[in-house]
Amino acid sequence: MRHASRLALALALLGLAAAACGETRSVRNDEYGDDSRRARVQGRLSGASDGLVIFGVDRSRPPGSAGDPGGGPGLGVNAYLWRATLDTLSFMPLASADPFGGVIITDWYSPPAEPGERFRATAYLLGRTLRSDNVRVSVFRQVRDRNGNWVDQPVSPGTAAALEDSILARARELRSQSLAAR
Amino acid sequence: MRKILLGTTAVVGAALLGPSLAQAQEAPTVRIGGFFRSYYGYIQQTGTESVTNNTIPTNVSGVGANQAPDASNHRARLGKHDFSTNAEVHVFVNGKAANGLTYGAVIEINFDQQEGRSIDQRRGSTGKTTAALDEAYAFIAMPQLGQIRFGDEDGPLGGLMNAGVITNFGTGGIYGEWEDFVTRQRAARTQTAPGGLGDSTKIIYLSPQFFGFDFGASFAPNYNEGADTGCTNDVASGWCDRAYAFTGASNFGIAAAGPNQAARRNEYQLAARWRGSFGGVGLAIAGGYIGSTAKRELTAANITSTNPNAPGVIASGTQHRVFNNLNVWTIGAQATAYGFTVGANWTYGDANFFWGNTFRGDRPMNQYMVGLSYTNGPFTIGANYVFGTFEGGSRSAYNPAAAGVGSTTGLVPNTCAPGASCTLASMRRWGYGIGGNYRLAPGLDLIAEWVSYRVFERNRDLDPVQPGIQSRANADVFLTGVRLAF
Repeated sequence: MRHASRLALALALLGLAAAACGETRSVRNDEYGDDSRRARVQGRLSGASDGLVIFGVDRSRPPGSAGDPGGGPGLGVNAYLWRATLDTLSFMPLASADPFGGVIITDWYSPPAEPGERFRATAYLLGRTLRSDNVRVSVFRQVRDRNGNWVDQPVSPGTAAALEDSILARARELRSQSLAAR
Repeated sequence: MRKILLGTTAVVGAALLGPSLAQAQEAPTVRIGGFFRSYYGYIQQTGTESVTNNTIPTNVSGVGANQAPDASNHRARLGKHDFSTNAEVHVFVNGKAANGLTYGAVIEINFDQQEGRSIDQRRGSTGKTTAALDEAYAFIAMPQLGQIRFGDEDGPLGGLMNAGVITNFGTGGIYGEWEDFVTRQRAARTQTAPGGLGDSTKIIYLSPQFFGFDFGASFAPNYNEGADTGCTNDVASGWCDRAYAFTGASNFGIAAAGPNQAARRNEYQLAARWRGSFGGVGLAIAGGYIGSTAKRELTAANITSTNPNAPGVIASGTQHRVFNNLNVWTIGAQATAYGFTVGANWTYGDANFFWGNTFRGDRPMNQYMVGLSYTNGPFTIGANYVFGTFEGGSRSAYNPAAAGVGSTTGLVPNTCAPGASCTLASMRRWGYGIGGNYRLAPGLDLIAEWVSYRVFERNRDLDPVQPGIQSRANADVFLTGVRLAF
């Protein structure tokens, strides 16, 4: 018994020490074993959440899923990608944003340094998961000719990919912020 | 150096005690979950025909009978087919405070409280499907400090943090639901699953995970669950939860089914595990220890010693320490990759087959388990095998008069008459389960499973209603059906 007490004390001190470490994470309740017969069934009729909510609002959806509170319920696309796309394209005026169809269209935008050139972007969000292939960006470019008319011009090939990368980086950042705040 | 130390301490203090990140407070949610299953079973087992008479009543004669053994004994024969259903309803409460503290409670209600039929009177009986509280506990958790659970719940070793117990196929293979179809002829059922340690009311600490490690510890003052004292009348008796010595305690090394009456006291569990992955292979290693003290026998009258070497009178109120403390180690490991999960678990120490306290001088338990499962899309198949040696009957009996004055245990060694049933041999138990399930829809499984289980104890009659000494008990069960969780 005395050995056990010492061991328990050592474990408790270890726990406090561990709590100070950067590598610490809280263990979710579903990571512990459960000998109930319900626990032996894989998956649930009620989906990912544990049981049917009869009181209160379900805020336990996995991060980035449709019902994730981090992005607000009601989105048809991944919440982090949606917010990251809005953030990334916010330097241009917004013409249209459809959170259910997953389309964001900006208005024409001229960089202050290049008044004879303007850009427009369309972003398509394709799914509810945070994946690199779930975001597509198309960029359009026009240049003013001598008569003052705007003429379509090709965009340098890396521009759309660079914007997609920025969106994904921002989405990752939002997700990690959201997880850290849980 | 000193400055660095001071600075480090300050940072640690701030991390532990300082205000945490502002977090969104969440109003509590209440959820209902549950489980239903319905199986067909085909059963081949020993002990299905009583050739010699047994002494349960042939009928219930009405008012006042109260299950008194009938004067005319009776026999019975059991068939091989049956249907069986079961259900559970769980209530989950979860909330989150503004400082990041999460809290909640889990209340589980099951409907198989009573294994045997209870016919008290012709019009007054209790059904097998009586509702009962299973696990019921509250928890409070802080992300950096871990969580406390308080209530009727498995301990860290008794189910929360085990590894290598592969039961994710069929109904769990050898630890599955075949037992619901098998009669207990000398306990030809498995009891040594981690969850078999019981949900006695306990307080549990579960640590956060750091570098893949987490650990837990728990304490329970005795074996009992739920509310109230357990006393059956107004006086102190062995049925009271807090009894630590009582006349007849030596009968409760094996827990009495239903009333949570067992010799175990001051149970503590310690467990630790590491989880991580190497090159796409998920690994988990867990180990732990359970210890306890035990209730003691208490003489109820002056007993005159019959032991010529220790003559005299054993005074009324003498305590005898008949039981070993519970003293069991377990270690397990499992690996998961490409849909396969393989695991092994080893348990060793002073306990009987029912996770109960053994008599002093009895053998320890020694049990191995291995398992393998494979999941591909909606299909899961698997197999597991368990082998263990245990104390059979017992190598001694509680007999204070024969033990004599001065004996601290009151135990005397058992002897075996030639040709008679004998309790001195070690008991071997082994079995395997093979099963699979098909996910028809999320939470809805079709199941098929085969389980074979054997008990062997040389020269001990494991089937008393058959003539002769039957050293074996067998059970083979095929079951198939549907189960659903919500």
